[in-house]
Amino acid sequence: MHIVDPASSSAAAARTLAPRPASLQGVTIALLDNSKPNASVLLERVGELLAARGGALAVRAWGKPGSSIGASVTVLEEIAAAARVALTASAD
Amino acid sequence: MACVVLGTDEFIPLARAQVSAKGLPGLPVVTVPHPIGGIPPAAVTAKAEAIVDRVLRALTESPGASGAAGGGAGPSMEAPGDIEEFQTWLMEQGWGDGLPAIPPTRERVARMLSGTGRRPDDIAAILVPRLGRASVEAIAANAVLAGALPEHLPVIVAAVEAAADPAFNLQAIQTTTHPCSPLVIINGPIAQRLGIHAGGNVLGQGARANAVIGRALRLILQNVGGARPGKEDRATHGHPGKYSYCMAENEAASPWEPLSVERGFTAGESTVTVCGSEAPHNINDHASTTPANIVTTVASVMATVGSNNIYLGGEPLVVLGPEHAATAASSGWSKDDFRRQVWERSAVPLASFAQENIGRFATIFPEGFKDRPAGAVARAARDWRDIMVVVAGGAGKHSALIPTFGATRSVTRRITD
Repeated sequence: MHIVDPASSSAAAARTLAPRPASLQGVTIALLDNSKPNASVLLERVGELLAARGGALAVRAWGKPGSSIGASVTVLEEIAAAARVALTASAD
Repeated sequence: MACVVLGTDEFIPLARAQVSAKGLPGLPVVTVPHPIGGIPPAAVTAKAEAIVDRVLRALTESPGASGAAGGGAGPSMEAPGDIEEFQTWLMEQGWGDGLPAIPPTRERVARMLSGTGRRPDDIAAILVPRLGRASVEAIAANAVLAGALPEHLPVIVAAVEAAADPAFNLQAIQTTTHPCSPLVIINGPIAQRLGIHAGGNVLGQGARANAVIGRALRLILQNVGGARPGKEDRATHGHPGKYSYCMAENEAASPWEPLSVERGFTAGESTVTVCGSEAPHNINDHASTTPANIVTTVASVMATVGSNNIYLGGEPLVVLGPEHAATAASSGWSKDDFRRQVWERSAVPLASFAQENIGRFATIFPEGFKDRPAGAVARAARDWRDIMVVVAGGAGKHSALIPTFGATRSVTRRITD
């Protein structure tokens, strides 16, 4: 039996991942907090340890207006301008 | 910029869906054991320490080639012809809701499409999180699965368009742990024409149009939108309205203007409204004979510390039974009078909230929760105009409160053929 695909196709366009730096030496690490409870605790601790271990220059944190709302374009542009790598959070 | 997503193991399917929708299925996701929230900070830092090496590698080593994004098997596919086998197959594809479904054969979908003047390849919406293309044909295929009839299709298409409006925040509605699902409210003459029920047991079983329209929307969001239960749909419990959630306003029994007219449509126009709604909660009041006393009961059901609306805002919906509505409108009260009073009385003292929640809500809604004076209260919505009121149901002294996800606005669309 032939049926019509109930899922349809996805409009997601394939993109290329950004190249990774060879090390974290001298780079700024961005943290984007999803504003869920304790997300900042997880991100800040990972950032702190990464900086210590990898020789990063700085760790800076940004936030979202709420966990169910995306980061603003301004915040994303700031992160892109300020940092070489970023950590974001998903989940509770 | 090299990016890594941190999450918990429970949320892996959602994180994967998100990075795929961004066209980056190879984006590294590093997980800790669930949960992060609601545990002592020391337990969170311990989880952080356990993943640092993995995060460092994910940031500095090439993740390899990304797989292709997109997907979808194409416009048609082969499925088992046996009706029982089809049910099993449908569930295996992740396209069912557990109830029997009708195979969307080309013939049935063509018949369904006769219910609309729109072209089958017309894209009504792009549905998140998967960025699925909700073509009119794909909508029709899910309408067939749900048991809908061709005349229901324009309502379903309009509901899909409404749910995709940015104000609705479909991304969050589809993926949140909160128990919410689009409640479809129909206004105008189409309700009677299609037999969309507005009377007794309006939110219960037994009305075909309500059942199949709500179910069709739900299947479209799951299948095209890619919000599969337990995977991208992260609902902790969900609620029974996630099978189907559709009603008409009982305009004939209402003392006030219908929802559609409130929102600028004429009484002769038919509309669909979607709300990101919880399950209904009963409001029992067999004794009150004045508007103020009805308000006392309604507002007290709203005033609760565990509600999303109290800290995220949004539009809690009061479905007034016709008898409560008649009482509420006596003494000449307008709908606005009623909702202003309900809002005013829906106050919860901040002293009733757990301190940890006050701390959390203060970051989300500082005006409501940060450094407030002693005796301050929170209300069930940010503004009295956000209290939604429709009249529906049959005889009896009951109404229903339907809270929402909070970070969502209801959206009303005109239904066109």
